[in-house]
Formats: sequence, structure tokens, C-alpha cells
Amino acid sequence: MSIDVRPETSPTARIPSGRTRGIGVIMLAIGLFTALVFGVGSGFSAHSSLTFNPVSLANAPWRVGTLTLLTAWSNVVLGLAIIALGLDVLARLPRRGVMARFGVVAVLFFFALLLWAARTTGPSQINFVNLTAVLIGSSALAMVLVFGSLSGVMCERAGVVNIAIEGQFIGGAFVGSMIASTTHNFFLAAFVGALVGGVLGLVLAFLSLRYLSDQIIVGVVLVTMLGSLSSYLNLQVFTPFPQYNTGNLAPNLPIPLLSKIPVIGPVFFDQTGFFYLMIVLVALVSFALFKTRWGLRVRAVGEHPQAAASVGIKVIGVRYANVIMGGAIAGVGGVAFMASQGQFQPGYTSGLGYIALAALIFGRWRPSGAVVASVLFGLSVYLADNLQTYQVPVPTEILGMFPYVITIAVVSGLIGRVRPPAADGLPYKRD
Amino acid sequence: MRLELRGITKRFGTFTANHRIDLTVEPGQIHCLLGENGAGKSTLMNVIFGLLQPDEGEMLIDGVVTRFADSGEAVRRGIGMVHQHFMLVPVFSVAENVVLGFEPTKSFDRLDHQRAREEIRSVSQTFNLEVDPDAIVEELPVGLQQRVEILKALSHDAELLILDEPTAVLTPQEIDALMAIMRSLAASGKSILFITHKLKEVKAIADVITVIRQGEVVGTAQASDSEAELASMMVGRDVNLTVDKVTVSPGEAVLTITDLVVRDDRGLPAVDGVSLTVRAGEIVALAGVQGNGQTELVEAIAGMRHVESGTITVRGVDITNRTPREVLDAGVGHVPEDRQLHGLVLSMSVADNLVLNTPRRAPFARHGSRNLAAVKSNAEALVTRFDIRTTSTQALVSSLSGGNQQKVIVARELSRPLSLFLASQPTRGLDVGSIEYVHRQIVRQRDDGIGVLIVSSELDEVLALGDRIAVMHTGRISGVVDPSTSRETIGLLMTGAHVEPADA
Repeated sequence: MSIDVRPETSPTARIPSGRTRGIGVIMLAIGLFTALVFGVGSGFSAHSSLTFNPVSLANAPWRVGTLTLLTAWSNVVLGLAIIALGLDVLARLPRRGVMARFGVVAVLFFFALLLWAARTTGPSQINFVNLTAVLIGSSALAMVLVFGSLSGVMCERAGVVNIAIEGQFIGGAFVGSMIASTTHNFFLAAFVGALVGGVLGLVLAFLSLRYLSDQIIVGVVLVTMLGSLSSYLNLQVFTPFPQYNTGNLAPNLPIPLLSKIPVIGPVFFDQTGFFYLMIVLVALVSFALFKTRWGLRVRAVGEHPQAAASVGIKVIGVRYANVIMGGAIAGVGGVAFMASQGQFQPGYTSGLGYIALAALIFGRWRPSGAVVASVLFGLSVYLADNLQTYQVPVPTEILGMFPYVITIAVVSGLIGRVRPPAADGLPYKRD
Repeated sequence: MRLELRGITKRFGTFTANHRIDLTVEPGQIHCLLGENGAGKSTLMNVIFGLLQPDEGEMLIDGVVTRFADSGEAVRRGIGMVHQHFMLVPVFSVAENVVLGFEPTKSFDRLDHQRAREEIRSVSQTFNLEVDPDAIVEELPVGLQQRVEILKALSHDAELLILDEPTAVLTPQEIDALMAIMRSLAASGKSILFITHKLKEVKAIADVITVIRQGEVVGTAQASDSEAELASMMVGRDVNLTVDKVTVSPGEAVLTITDLVVRDDRGLPAVDGVSLTVRAGEIVALAGVQGNGQTELVEAIAGMRHVESGTITVRGVDITNRTPREVLDAGVGHVPEDRQLHGLVLSMSVADNLVLNTPRRAPFARHGSRNLAAVKSNAEALVTRFDIRTTSTQALVSSLSGGNQQKVIVARELSRPLSLFLASQPTRGLDVGSIEYVHRQIVRQRDDGIGVLIVSSELDEVLALGDRIAVMHTGRISGVVDPSTSRETIGLLMTGAHVEPADA
């Protein structure tokens, strides 16, 4: 047996042009749909208004006027922009950045959808879109997804698939609510949430590293177990003693001056401590993974554990450490989600942990990519949850499918080719 | 470094992989460890390298008894290993691979890429091994990847270099380059332990030869000993290294491939416009360094891979893009490259594996139910005829040795009338005895008027078997030559150089 290697080809040449062409065609279709249905279809007398003032005016010493647009023409322009992007992909068949372009198309499409939903003489009474509110609402979801996908980055870069992120969210949210209710200390809540997530990571690591169990199955079992356990404990603890599960909205910590910038201020600089912690974590994980000795070793373990072991790196040890740290990050994510909702409810994470995994893949196993994907998916989840307000005649579940459809497209290689760490999910045994 | 092994024994359960092995490597010496596949060479290397702990015996380094807890310790103590499967992270740069585990750092644990590069340059210069430190390993040709492995060992100040079957993936020219590197390293005082089963290489380079068989040292030999002497030591009996063939004149074409284009798993053209003919009663041997499209070509013929364009016909019947079943029905017998993955169902019995290609036919099945008596009698006949060593026809095929597993496949494929016999790496991993046997069977098929196409990355096998030799390089046939052609010429064709064909 020997290694098959084909010389003289670079790995960037791997995306067949047919697939890229397919993406271009899909973009064209989305563009046409946007221009015709959201544009022409809304009638040329309709107009949509955008407002920018945050709902809470505490940190907004400014007022920004309302921007009123002609819905049809705006959306035709958006549609044409999407078509232009599609044509560009078709004409140049770029090898890189196809996924990024698709992300831009998705954002433009969402924007057109909002304009269309909020048009006057539309089905709903609400004829404006508060852009700032949309961004703040999405940012809370995106934050949770970033915590989840960072957890995935930590685990999968070391070669262990952590599909239990959802379970770590649930565990973190449950104990987070309990600690925050009793101590009113969100630091302590986050710490205990990290502890619970870390313990769940340890269970996953122990079963998959010590007993070489299938990591996917262990992960799914953990999620199922945590879902049921939290429902049961909710019934036994929180229902009779509601004082342990209430009033846990984390306070916003506005950053002086920066928080006063119109639109950007309330979205980025008037957030909870969890949001700032997330930003610090993204920077930290990015730096540690790609700039440090530690990161090189972690990636070696995730790509070629035998090679790592042959120079004395403790493969199993690295995997344990990373899965536990990853679990802790997801646990904090659960607390952060709880703190954005104010309390724990059984089942209210509703698959966010899986969407975070999707963001991890869409983000090509990189912290920065995971952020971009989380923003996109956060936006789509938020819109799916809130479009009812506009009485859109489309089931919101369709929009809720977006992250999954994208993930299937990415995983099947439809949109670019993603390449997981080579040893991702594979058991490692020392001879 | 002087390495001495005294009475090293390593057991896996009841199986003794190494039994009381004594071995001494002197500084500046190239010591060859010669043995067949499964003789226990790799186990012994893993013991020296700290990947396995010996059950008995001791290891002395420069006269001091030493024991390594893991390979990291072995590396720190000056033992470098070039593994058969490279221990390189394909997506990392050369520099990252070389420093892995011994990284120079700046503040905050940051990698010091500048120092890593400089270290590599200085080692490169000292030993005259040129590699770009910033190149990504997977984009380098195999020969250069191996150079990175050697560089990695040297940069950790290795005094003893273990090379485990290093030539398997190299072209003849790359092998020459490797030999030159080994000689210059030995000249600079490094000790080298070179593991191989290839007699030619041993004779070309060894200072001392230790032969092991079934886990035991059977003796030492000199590089001046003849290949036949070395082979009989290695195998334990006299072996016939040449394949006896009478000349026969080939008949009509049985396999005709025209302008074939096939893509690999990544969607790149792996077979790029190949045309080839195999006639009845001749053996065409397809040579080339692995990964040049041979695998994909065979898979396309066998119906296991989609054909992009071009045609494949067997005795005039178009089998392009047909299913494997239709290909088999057209009279093609196929011994696949990976016998455990594509050739056998390991969890089934020998008897069932012997009818895998015809399970639905009479006499093995009737009206949709199996005729187990016929399956059994068929198995008994084939086990006798092909000398398959098994405890019973009902034993799991996974319990057989590699050579006997291969015999099961060959027996099955040859148990029905064929037009074309297709065999990919037919003797890979087999002991010399089994190789002889498989070779005789292949020649017998040819003598019976069947067209034979074999693919092999062993040049010796290609030269011994082929009536014509086709050489593949980057998806194209770079030449079709006569077996009397020199190794150098074939080596050049394997690198894609244009050579005037002797016989097209």
C-alpha cells in the first residue's frame, strides 16, 4: 500500500466548472424572482418605508428620518444587482469567493423580501421596516450561532465532530437561568454554563476517544438526553418554583460614545456582555488556531493524527482538551441565549445548535467564516420568526429552511467545495 | 549513532511478530533489513521508534540501555523515521511540517515562521536537499514529499535514520536520487536502517544485510551475494525469480480502448485520451508511478467509474459506461487493486466469496433461492485447484492471509470462460511464493488465448510479465515498448519524457 498523490495539480483546481455554472444559474433565477415577484409584482404604486431609530431610545440622542422607497423599482434594482452577480459568476467561473457572492445574493434577497412584505397596500397594517430593530434582533441570534460554531471549530479542528452543540446550549441555558435567578450574577451564570458545557464535552470526548464510539451517534444521544432531561427538570423545578427561572434578561452595557453612532451604535456597541465576550472569543480562537504553536498542533491532530503522534504530540490529550473547551464555549452560548430571552423554556433552542454546525461548514471551519455564516443564518432565522407580523402569504417555515438548504448545497459541493479537516470524525487509536 | 538490539521479542496476543531479534547498526553504515511482507520488519521499526514496547529484550544506543515511552522521545534522542505512508500534513507548508512538534516560537506562543524557514534552509544546505519551505506539501510530487520527510528527521538532529520501504512510490530516477542522498548521509556519519523487500535496491546500497523471516533473523548477507541467494534466504526455499514464458503470437484484439477520458474523484481528468489495444494471447503490462491514472483506467474498464468520452469494446461489444455486471457478462475477469475493499466481502465465507461474480446463475441459484450444495462443491474444487490455504470452505475470508485472499479472487475470476483478464496490482503485499503462483496463473491465461491487461507499480513485475509494456504518465500513455527495453528508458517514460517507441 502506498499513497496516491498526483503531482502538478493544485487543490484550488477542484471545483468543476459545471457546478459553478449551476450556482450562476441559481443566482439568475433568484434575481429574476426578486425583480418580477418582489418588484413588478408589488405594483408600481406601492412604497415601503425604512426607519432607523431604535425601539429603546435611551442611547439614541439622534433621530434619523424615514426613508421611503418605491417598492417595485427598489426591488427591480435589487433583482438586477443579483442578476449582475449571477452573470459575473457565469462569465468568469471564479474558483474562489463563490460562497461569498452567494452570501451577498442572500442578503440582497432578504432585503427585497422585507421591502416587499412592508409595502403599503400590502397585506399588513405595518408599512415600515425598522432596519435597526431587524439588525439588533438578528444579532442576538447570530451571537448564539457564533458561540455554537466556535465550539464546532474547536472540536472539529482537532478531529472530533461535536454534534451535541444543541445539547450544550440546552444545558447551559438551564443552569444559566437557575444561577442568574438566584445570584443575579451573569458572570457566575456564564461560568457555570461553561462548566456544564465542558462536562458534556467531556462525556462526548470520553465515549468517542476512549471507547471509539461513533461521534455522531454519541452527539445525537446527548442532544436527545439533554432535551428530555431539561423538560423533566423544568417540570420538577421551574414550574413549582418559578422564582428560579425569571427576570434573567442580561443588561445592555453600552460603550460610551461608540454606542451613540446611528444604526451601528445600537447594533454593535449597545449589547450585553455576552456579545462582547463573543467578539473577544472569535478573535482569540482565530489567533490561537492560525498563529500559535498550539494551533498548529491542534490542526495537525485534526488533519493527520498519526503524523502528529510521530513527533510526540499527544493526540488524545489534544482532542480531550479541545472538545472540553468547545463544549464550554457552547455552554456559554446557551447561557447567552437564555439571557437574551429572559428565562429558560424547554425546546426553545429549536435547532439553533444544528444551524451553528451548518454555519461552521458554510464558514469552512474558520472562526471568521463562521461569523459571516452566523450573521447570514441569524438574519434568516430572525426573519422566519418575525415575518408573520407582516402577514406575508408564504409559510415562514419556508424561510426557516434557508440555513439547511444552504448547508445541503454546501455539503453536496453545489456551492464551492468545502474541505473538512482530513481526520474529522475519525477515531484515532494508538496502534 | 550505534544502535544495538538484543533479543527483541514482540507479541500480539498469541502471534509473535518479532522473536529474539539481534541487530547492530554501526555509525556511518547503511544496514538493510530484508524480509517479505509480513515478516515483522515494520513491527521491529515501530519498536525502535517507540511506537510499540517490546515484550522482551533490550535496545542499546551508543552502548546505553534505552527505552522510549513514545516516538517523541525517540525523535529527541536522535532517531528519525521516514515512514512508508508519509507522516506529513498535506495542507501544511513544508516549514510547518518540518517544525511540527519542535516549533520555534515568539511571544504569546506565536509561531516564528522566519526562524522555521531559516532552520530548514540551513539543513537543506548542509545535506544538499533543496525544498521550498513555503510550498504546500500536497502540491509537491511524491519524491519531494519524501525529501521533506528526510529533512524533517534531519532537522531534529537525527543520527539514525530509519527508511521504511521508501522506494514503493518513486520513479526509477527518484530512487536513484534517494540512493545518492542515503550514501551522502552515511558518508557524513549518519547511521541508516533501510527496510525493503526489493533485492535490487539492497544489492545497490547495502553495507550490511540482515534477513528476517517470520519474525526471526535468519542470517546476514553481503551485497555481493546473488539475488537468487538473497531471495531464497528471505523466503526459506529456492524461488524462481524469472517468469517462464514461451512466445506465442497474439491473435485478434479483445480489448480496444479509444480516446478514453475518465475523471477522478475530484473531477479532474485522470485518464486523458488513452487509446490501447490488448490482443488475444498477449499480456499488456501497464507501468507507471502510482496516481497517474492507472487506477481510474482499470475502474472505467470494469464498469466502476463513469467514462467521460471515448469507447471501450471487448471483442467488438461496446462496454462503455456499462454496469460491472454487464462488463463481467461480456467476459471480463477483474482482480481489483484493493482486494479487501472491492475484491472480497470480508465478513463472508470463502465459499460465498468464490461465487460473488455469479451468485444468481445456475447452478448456484435457482428460482431466486441459492443452491448451497453447488456453492460448496464449487468451493471445494477451486480450493484444491488453486491451492487456497484455509481451514474450511466455510471459514471467513477475512481469516485468510493476504496471499490466500488474493488466490480466492484469482480463482473466482478464472473459474469461468473469459475474453479479457484484468488485474490491478495483482501481487501487491504478497509473499514471494504467492507471487510466483499468481504470475504462473496469469501466464497460463495468456497461453490459453485470453487477453491479459495487468497494472503494476513494480517495474520488475511489469518487465517479467509483459509482452508489451504501456507506460502511463499524467493520464496519457507516454509510450508502448517492448519488454527488452532498458529500465532507464521506461523510467524516463514514467516521468513523461518523450521516447521513440520501439514497438507500438
